[in-house]
Amino acid sequence: MEQLKTIGRELAMGSQGGFGQSKEFLDLIKSIGETRSKNEEDRIVLREIETLKTRLANPNTPKFKLKEYLIRLLYVEMLGHDASFGYIYAVKMTHDENLLFKRTGYLAVTLFLNEDHDLIILIVNTIQKDLRSDNYLVVCAALNAVCRLINEETIPAVLPQVVELLGHQKEAVRKKAVMALHRFYQRAPGSVSHLISNFRKRLSDSDPGVMGATLCPLFDLITTDVNAYKDLVISFVNILKQVVERRLPKSFDYRQMPAPFIQIKLLKILGLLGNGDKKTSEHMYTIVGDIMRKIDSTSNIGNAVLYECICCISSIHPNPKLLEAAADAISKFLKSDSHNMKYLGIDALGRLTKISPEIAEQHQLAVIDCLEDPDDTLKRKTFELLYKMTKSSNVEVIVNRMIDYMININDNHYKTEIASRCVELAEQFAPSNQWFIQTMNKVFEHAGDLVNAKVAHNLMRLIAEGFGEDDDTADSQLRSSAVESYLHIIGEPKLPSAFLQVICWVLGEYGTADGKYSASYISGRLCDVAEAHSTDDIVKAYAVTALGKIYSFEIAAGRKAEVLPECESLIEELLASHSTDLQQRAYEVQAIVGIDAHAVENIMPMDASCEDIEIDKSLSFLDGYIQQAIEKGAQPYVPESERSGMSNISNFKSQEQHESLTHSLRFEAYELPKPSMAPHVPPVLASSTELVPVPDPYNHTEVHYSATPMPSVSNAGSSELKLRLDGVQKKWGRPSYSSPASSTSNNDAPKIQNGTTQRDSVGSANSKARDVSYESRKPQVGISPEKQKLAASLFGGASKSDRRQSSSSQKVPKNNSHSADKSHVEKTATSDTVAIKTSQPPQDLLDLGEPTGTSIPPSLDPFTQLEGLLDLTQDPTTLNTWWR
Amino acid sequence: MGIRFVLMVNKQGQTRLAQYYEYLTIEERRALEGEIVRKCLARNEQQCSFVEHRNYKIVYRRYASLFFLVGVDNEENELAILEFIHLLVETMDRHFGNVCELDIMFHLEKAHFMLEEMVMNGCIVETSKSNILSPIQLMEKAS
Repeated sequence: MEQLKTIGRELAMGSQGGFGQSKEFLDLIKSIGETRSKNEEDRIVLREIETLKTRLANPNTPKFKLKEYLIRLLYVEMLGHDASFGYIYAVKMTHDENLLFKRTGYLAVTLFLNEDHDLIILIVNTIQKDLRSDNYLVVCAALNAVCRLINEETIPAVLPQVVELLGHQKEAVRKKAVMALHRFYQRAPGSVSHLISNFRKRLSDSDPGVMGATLCPLFDLITTDVNAYKDLVISFVNILKQVVERRLPKSFDYRQMPAPFIQIKLLKILGLLGNGDKKTSEHMYTIVGDIMRKIDSTSNIGNAVLYECICCISSIHPNPKLLEAAADAISKFLKSDSHNMKYLGIDALGRLTKISPEIAEQHQLAVIDCLEDPDDTLKRKTFELLYKMTKSSNVEVIVNRMIDYMININDNHYKTEIASRCVELAEQFAPSNQWFIQTMNKVFEHAGDLVNAKVAHNLMRLIAEGFGEDDDTADSQLRSSAVESYLHIIGEPKLPSAFLQVICWVLGEYGTADGKYSASYISGRLCDVAEAHSTDDIVKAYAVTALGKIYSFEIAAGRKAEVLPECESLIEELLASHSTDLQQRAYEVQAIVGIDAHAVENIMPMDASCEDIEIDKSLSFLDGYIQQAIEKGAQPYVPESERSGMSNISNFKSQEQHESLTHSLRFEAYELPKPSMAPHVPPVLASSTELVPVPDPYNHTEVHYSATPMPSVSNAGSSELKLRLDGVQKKWGRPSYSSPASSTSNNDAPKIQNGTTQRDSVGSANSKARDVSYESRKPQVGISPEKQKLAASLFGGASKSDRRQSSSSQKVPKNNSHSADKSHVEKTATSDTVAIKTSQPPQDLLDLGEPTGTSIPPSLDPFTQLEGLLDLTQDPTTLNTWWR
Repeated sequence: MGIRFVLMVNKQGQTRLAQYYEYLTIEERRALEGEIVRKCLARNEQQCSFVEHRNYKIVYRRYASLFFLVGVDNEENELAILEFIHLLVETMDRHFGNVCELDIMFHLEKAHFMLEEMVMNGCIVETSKSNILSPIQLMEKAS
């Protein structure tokens, strides 16, 4: 049957005039169509490439043949092979006089070349000529090409003609000219900024097609600057009205809907214009309400328009009547069997919950069905909804769900996205520190290498800074629970590198802080990490630096740093590492162990990771040394810019040079010892040169490579400073060690914080906090199987402050009716003052609903009221002529 | 920008028409097309006609052996795009009469011309079938 059809079509095509094809072409297409494997297809295409190369090179090829070859070239590229050898023939074909050949040439060129291709310059001339053609189809073909091929530089070459064509007598030309101008606006807004008014003018074009096309550029313009177009709202509303009243030609109808695509575009525009603007929004209420009432919700396209209405309603200033209609439409969507409808319903729900938070609650079971549906698209959309409606009362359930889902997907792109959402929600709504740390652990464990490095730094910063409250006990509890959980997790195989880095850093900073664990225990675990990940230099670097911290805290506390044999052998091993970074860290640790307590306190102050570090970029602390050298007859330093004799360099350049200048200075600093420095404060530079007898060139390059992961770590505490430090530390290397120390060298303020006094109290508090966190965790896991329960926890929500409530909610007799669940939720809400604050939706509703409530008394029909309004405001110059 | 690409791919994963509204290299296109088709083929009829892929949302519709796939960005109305696909098919149907995969293969340039009329700069600019087809008919008459 298929065969017969093919033959029939071939016969039919033989008789076609201009589009007629050769037997060779038919055979090629047929063979491509019949291939059953990619290899086979590739073989055919490769053979075709050879054929085309020889054929195209023949100067006597007739034009109709050339056109066919071009189409064969299109196939070559479409099937994934390079056809660049033939591009020039496509360019040549655009010069042809014959319209069909010309248009085929343009088509091929637009498919082959991007707008920055070298060959474009050969076409600009042709385009210019064609834009002037008498044949409007030629002009259209050229305008199509303009939209694809003209880049910022060539815009001026065609701009005047395009503008002229906006007034062309053929509507097809005007439409394409509008789109060409739109393209210029997309490419280089500045190039057409003086021509923007043309779009407004074209909105009142006599041809509905031109008007419809003009909505595209206007949409973009309104997106960037809403306020400049508020005056058009009446025109848009009027146009929409005309469309809905079927004043457009029948040919725009689709499935008995009048111009639905234009309706959708207009609704999008209205949504933008009415956003946060009550006065503008009021113009729209009537028409949007009319559309929703009249819509045929049995067809896809009707529902597409309906959905767009909901989007518009949720964007503009809220109107109770419309919100009600939107909610009705949403429930229809969600009740539909079609997944497409459900998808739209969930999406619309997400938009509307911002305005009426209680609406999601009405559909809780439908939402949970979608969440549990095997259809991935639906599931993800539902997660998006949950993300939008997360609050402190349901954050645990939602984030746990997200993590469960995250663990089971392979799509790295989405995994990254959902991981970062988990992190964001956890950071925003975490009910407790313990929960936060646990959640972050899970995210890191399962998506560690996908999450942004910033997330790891944020986590370290959070642990270092605490939650910003001036509550030191809470902060140390947080740290203790972090240490606790990391010691628990550390032995697991296959932890992502980023997570191990966090673990090492936290153990180094806070492992011994609460006195619960001995230095030798923590250092032993750190050693294990370094050994278990012997191929990961970055993790090893973190581990060995952490060791150094543990030892220096010990020494500073007046104890002897007890170096375990395995730590010793690790350090030994790293002293001979191929990585000079690891070598240097090992030497530093070795040196720290031998220094007295006073010096150590300065080098590695306790819990100082959040302190600001001032970097003396000008290296003024070397002034004394320089002075001495000059006195001894050394040549003063001449900046490079002066040396090269270039005095008139731009600011930017000189800045660059300044940068390179610090580079060279640093070299000096490493090579020369600084005997002049005050001995009681070992300046980092001096000590590093003493400690690291590594050849400088090596050290220099290595430091660059390995310093990258560290800088933001040691400075994770100071977000403001971070940016500045990034650059600086790259140049200076060994940040974890040098940063605190370098600050002491510049600024002798002692940074030591008294860690010891806190220790005992913190220790006991911590263990208690831990117990609580574990207890309350368990019940959470039990909830999920019961849909009703899930619903309650997602939508009703126990309070943030008290998770025991969510566990107690399980003990409530299993009354599976919806209302019972809800009433329970209400009860919990009233029983807990904090809960009222966080989880009672009506309050939000009131906040938002109030303005509408006062402006339009609910008893009145806003539509009828507004209709009168509209009549008055109707602009006599209502920009539209085409419906008469 | 709305529509980022329009693809027609058969169920063996062979591309039959590809129009991109942003520049991708041949390798990127090849990889993208492969990934998307695999994703869509793995879905059943009851599931959504929309799939997320990287930064795109893919709206797809299957006609016999041929998949029509449209890549859009986040702000697009998916259901409207789904109907846009059908409008494209109806338009081709009107022109070719009971259109099939082979029609598109034998008349690749005409299919492209229709798409050129309907979509510019990634926006839907024309939805009237007669407006879409008239330039093509005129061109046919002329040559």
